[in-house]
Amino acid sequence: MIHLAKEDIRHTLGKFTVTAMGVGMLLGIVLIMIGVYRGMIADAEVLLKDLDVDLWIVQEGTLGPFAEASRIHEDLKYTLKGYDAIEKCEAITFQNIQMPKAEKQISALAIGYDIYGAINPINPHRLIAGRVLKSEHYEIVVSDKTLFKLGDKIKLGRNFYTVVGVTHGTVNSGGDPLVYLSLKDAQELQFTYSNKRVQTDRARGIINRDGHLVNAIVATVKPTYTLNSVAGELEKWLHKSVYTRAKQKEVLTKFVVEKASKQIGLFTVILVGVSTIIIALIIYTMTLEKMKEISIMKLIGLPNFTIVKMIVEETLLLGVMAFVFGNIFSHLIYDKFPKHVQLEASDALMLFIIVVIASIFASFIGVKKVISADPTAAIGG
Amino acid sequence: MSTNQAIKVENLNKSFGRGDTFVDVIHDASFTINKGELVALIAPSGAGKTTLLMMLGCVNEPNSGTIYLGDEKVYENRWLTKETRKIRREKIGFIFQAHYLIPFLNIMDNLTLLPQTNGVDTKESQAKARELLHYFDIADKESVMPSQLSGGQNQRVAIARALMNNPEIILADEPTAALDMSRSTAVVKMLKKIAVEQDVAIVMVTHDDRMLEYCDRIMKIEDKKVVFEK
Repeated sequence: MIHLAKEDIRHTLGKFTVTAMGVGMLLGIVLIMIGVYRGMIADAEVLLKDLDVDLWIVQEGTLGPFAEASRIHEDLKYTLKGYDAIEKCEAITFQNIQMPKAEKQISALAIGYDIYGAINPINPHRLIAGRVLKSEHYEIVVSDKTLFKLGDKIKLGRNFYTVVGVTHGTVNSGGDPLVYLSLKDAQELQFTYSNKRVQTDRARGIINRDGHLVNAIVATVKPTYTLNSVAGELEKWLHKSVYTRAKQKEVLTKFVVEKASKQIGLFTVILVGVSTIIIALIIYTMTLEKMKEISIMKLIGLPNFTIVKMIVEETLLLGVMAFVFGNIFSHLIYDKFPKHVQLEASDALMLFIIVVIASIFASFIGVKKVISADPTAAIGG
Repeated sequence: MSTNQAIKVENLNKSFGRGDTFVDVIHDASFTINKGELVALIAPSGAGKTTLLMMLGCVNEPNSGTIYLGDEKVYENRWLTKETRKIRREKIGFIFQAHYLIPFLNIMDNLTLLPQTNGVDTKESQAKARELLHYFDIADKESVMPSQLSGGQNQRVAIARALMNNPEIILADEPTAALDMSRSTAVVKMLKKIAVEQDVAIVMVTHDDRMLEYCDRIMKIEDKKVVFEK
């Protein structure tokens, strides 16, 4: 049996291919948008995974350092160490900083940790050059995304810091690179004011006693204890908010990434909608171009099914080809984006199903035209 | 009992519009066309030639009357089957002013599309197509696209297409309008030959009086009436 769609496409292969490539670029952007969302989630989890802790103890009534400001005393860690359920715990700071590089400022999230402590946020697998921090002062480990090299000096606050290590794949949920400082340096950077501010505060009778604050205490729990019960106990006795790792992940995805994901989701829906409309219009135009032939086919007796099948198959093929081009396009450009774009096969499969369904809907307008075509339109020139 | 009639029309009426826009096109037409006849249908423009042709081809519905195609009554004040397209597919061949071949199908596919839709085996339909291409002296063109053929060659393919379903009737709407004199004559002679050899009734709309001498009968629409002249 003659395959009308195949023959028609073969006849206008160049035009059909270019059209599919155009729609494919749109679908490629859809994949990139989904990839940006996946990248945000993956980035948000980098620090959670690298720290690999069970509990986050933060200022009471706050959601913790990823979502809002949290300040607690560093010495709380000594109290925690006294709990039988706690295996190890350390104080940690988080601070958004700007690092001057040439004329530019590079945004980064600075993590301060006790370099002699039991919990180290630097994952040795991510270290691609140099070493971890070994001195309590003026050393910094940076993400390769900052473009700093080993030995570079970076001015932060009042001091210069030497790059002693470079990591790869270390970013926060916003895509900003992570940098690591010793806890003491990080505390100074975050909580010590300028000389003038200190003088003014003293004149007002305010004495800066914030030097030993941190943003969170992270802890691991002995395997014999259940996380939720330990978290509940700590909340009860320490008057702090305590989050398990799962809860902290939820905070990250629900409160930090949720808005961005909604925005990206909306863009994705709009782009899929636009792609569907474009496919529908292209098919409609292609159908209009064939109206004479369609009238002839109907006049000589071809059933509607045969003609409708041709239109639907062409629409589906356009959608599938556009999807393939979109995949190629997205894989060619995804690493050119400043933010981490994570393309996943499951997302591509989901988009494929959506494209197939959208293509079927898109074919309706062409099919309607076929069904309403007047066979006598073929007569009389 | 099988008869020689290909088309039989009784008291056929067709009008368009209502009230001020009412136009009576065909009034009380009755005629019979036999197998093997080439009948010319002539009338001034707008007199209803194409309308009559489309009613005979089960495309346009009359207002009233009776139409027989072969021995089968297909219309009696209403279509007697919902599958009028099937009747066209199986009983009627169409030839148009222009060839109207499907541009994205090669000549072989253009010819075999209809029989294959009718369920005829691919090999069988291709054999029939080759036979017809040979008959029309374009046997070497089966793989080419319509755009690669001349106007006359395309019109021959269009005639071959009309014969592919072994029709009892061929309805030709000004098949020579786009051709020069010598090609027009060749096409009409070919239609005459087909009518005789294939025992097909052919109704041909034409404006060219020079083609009438090749026709067996001339059917006219005069003042909404269908009349024959020798």
